[in-house]
Amino acid sequence: MRALTYQGPYRVQVEQKPDPRIEHPQDVVLKVTRAAICGSDLHLLHGLVPDTRVGCTFGHEFTGVVEEVGGEVAQLKKGDRVVVPFNISCGTCFYCQRGLTGNCENSNPGSDVASGVYGYSHTTGGFDGGQAEYVRVPFADVGPMKIPDGMDDESVLFLSDILPTGYQAAEMGEIKGGETVVVFGAGPVGLFAMKSAWLMGAGRVVAVDHLPYRLEFARRFANVETVNFKHVDDIVLHLKDMFEGRGPDVCIDAVGMEAEGSRAHRVLGLGLKLEAGAPTVIQWCINSVRKGGNISIIGVYGPPWNFIPIGTAMNKGLTLRMNQANTRRYMPHLLEHIQKGRIDAKAIITHRFPLEQAPEAYDLFSDKQDGCIKCVLMPHGHA
Amino acid sequence: MPQKTPRKPGTAKPRAKSKPKSTDIAVDLDPSQRPGVPMETVPQPLAGARVPIVPQHADVPVYKHAGRRQMPPVFGTAQPPQGLSGLLRRAAYGKPDHVPSHWMLLLLADRVDVWEHRLRKSLPWAAPTAVVLAAGLMWRARRA
Repeated sequence: MRALTYQGPYRVQVEQKPDPRIEHPQDVVLKVTRAAICGSDLHLLHGLVPDTRVGCTFGHEFTGVVEEVGGEVAQLKKGDRVVVPFNISCGTCFYCQRGLTGNCENSNPGSDVASGVYGYSHTTGGFDGGQAEYVRVPFADVGPMKIPDGMDDESVLFLSDILPTGYQAAEMGEIKGGETVVVFGAGPVGLFAMKSAWLMGAGRVVAVDHLPYRLEFARRFANVETVNFKHVDDIVLHLKDMFEGRGPDVCIDAVGMEAEGSRAHRVLGLGLKLEAGAPTVIQWCINSVRKGGNISIIGVYGPPWNFIPIGTAMNKGLTLRMNQANTRRYMPHLLEHIQKGRIDAKAIITHRFPLEQAPEAYDLFSDKQDGCIKCVLMPHGHA
Repeated sequence: MPQKTPRKPGTAKPRAKSKPKSTDIAVDLDPSQRPGVPMETVPQPLAGARVPIVPQHADVPVYKHAGRRQMPPVFGTAQPPQGLSGLLRRAAYGKPDHVPSHWMLLLLADRVDVWEHRLRKSLPWAAPTAVVLAAGLMWRARRA
């Protein structure tokens, strides 16, 4: 089959590799119809995630058609159209039984930091991802959700990751009604976090980013106020000033380890690798949220450590909540929001590419060219 | 009163009056409507889950980190370890994942892996080129 493969930092190519096969009786093999490029794929591309091996196929947001079915799979049959959560979850372990499917302990031998994840290095299990013509999907009766008849794949594609991730980010902010919410990062996850904050009753929602086109998109898509942090002297003071000198009630980090905004952190974390990326946004969250406020971290940070002002968080009495999204439990609820028109998920797709042009798609997305918000690959064309 | 942060004109865009249409606001205000509340639920198997999980068999080496008691029943088999980078990875997985050297060794192995692949890719043209160059140098040395 044809598949995107990692060739080293900042290099991917599309090449021939063996078709995936059933390796476990609870597996299916999917023919991929749509595969999105996620912001966290850029951390892989930039060589920041340990144990990313040459030849790895990225892609943890995809839809497809069941092509081959393992012996123990009961709920799916050949020809079913499905959307697949990015976490690989068994449904029976200590964590899955408690709804924490993002922490499943039965799919990742490489580390305890997360469950298995498609196409996200051997640190999350060593599974190939969906930016290919075909992909192996383990625990097929637990994770994948059938796409309702009459709905196209792109309408539900983002139930695989970024929509549940954004929703969970807002949920972890513990919005009870009327709160002021600041979302750092106006990328796809941030946009869905903003939408979700409104759904949960936020009183005021502000997006912070440095890319004017993304802030403009956030204003249109999520009806939020915006701040360009490169246009203010001190983003922390600016946010405190916006919210009666105290700061917002809730801050959401939808950026992660490649944040702009601090030269020191970029040198230490991204250049010298003395910390796992640049935790600039966590610092901004801790320093700008009001005392007793909530911080929700959904941006991705690598192991083993980061420099963050935990003493300030303690002294301000903050609540910090974070986790990989427990995607599967959100899918039915968010599907209903899509069906009722409350969230137009596919409106964030700005670019579509055939699989063969995946390297160009990565360049465009990574360099934030041409107003790019979200790129989607079509491994089998427009079908 | 807090001191105002100086702001360049036309940079921050307040939209205090613009909210989504009223039907979209606060439909999930009640926490019981939110799928992730509480984050940790009363234990029960998920729909479709099947036990016992048959252990997966692998024909290639797959490492688990030393902090895990046993292999999980399901894992990925993509890109098995090989060469010098494979040895570094084996050493890394000999350490539990809370030890920083586990991660440092993996990052080193990733860089070695890239150079191994570049070397392997370049062999079809680099090896003959090296032979021709060496032969040329020997011929010049003999003539001189």
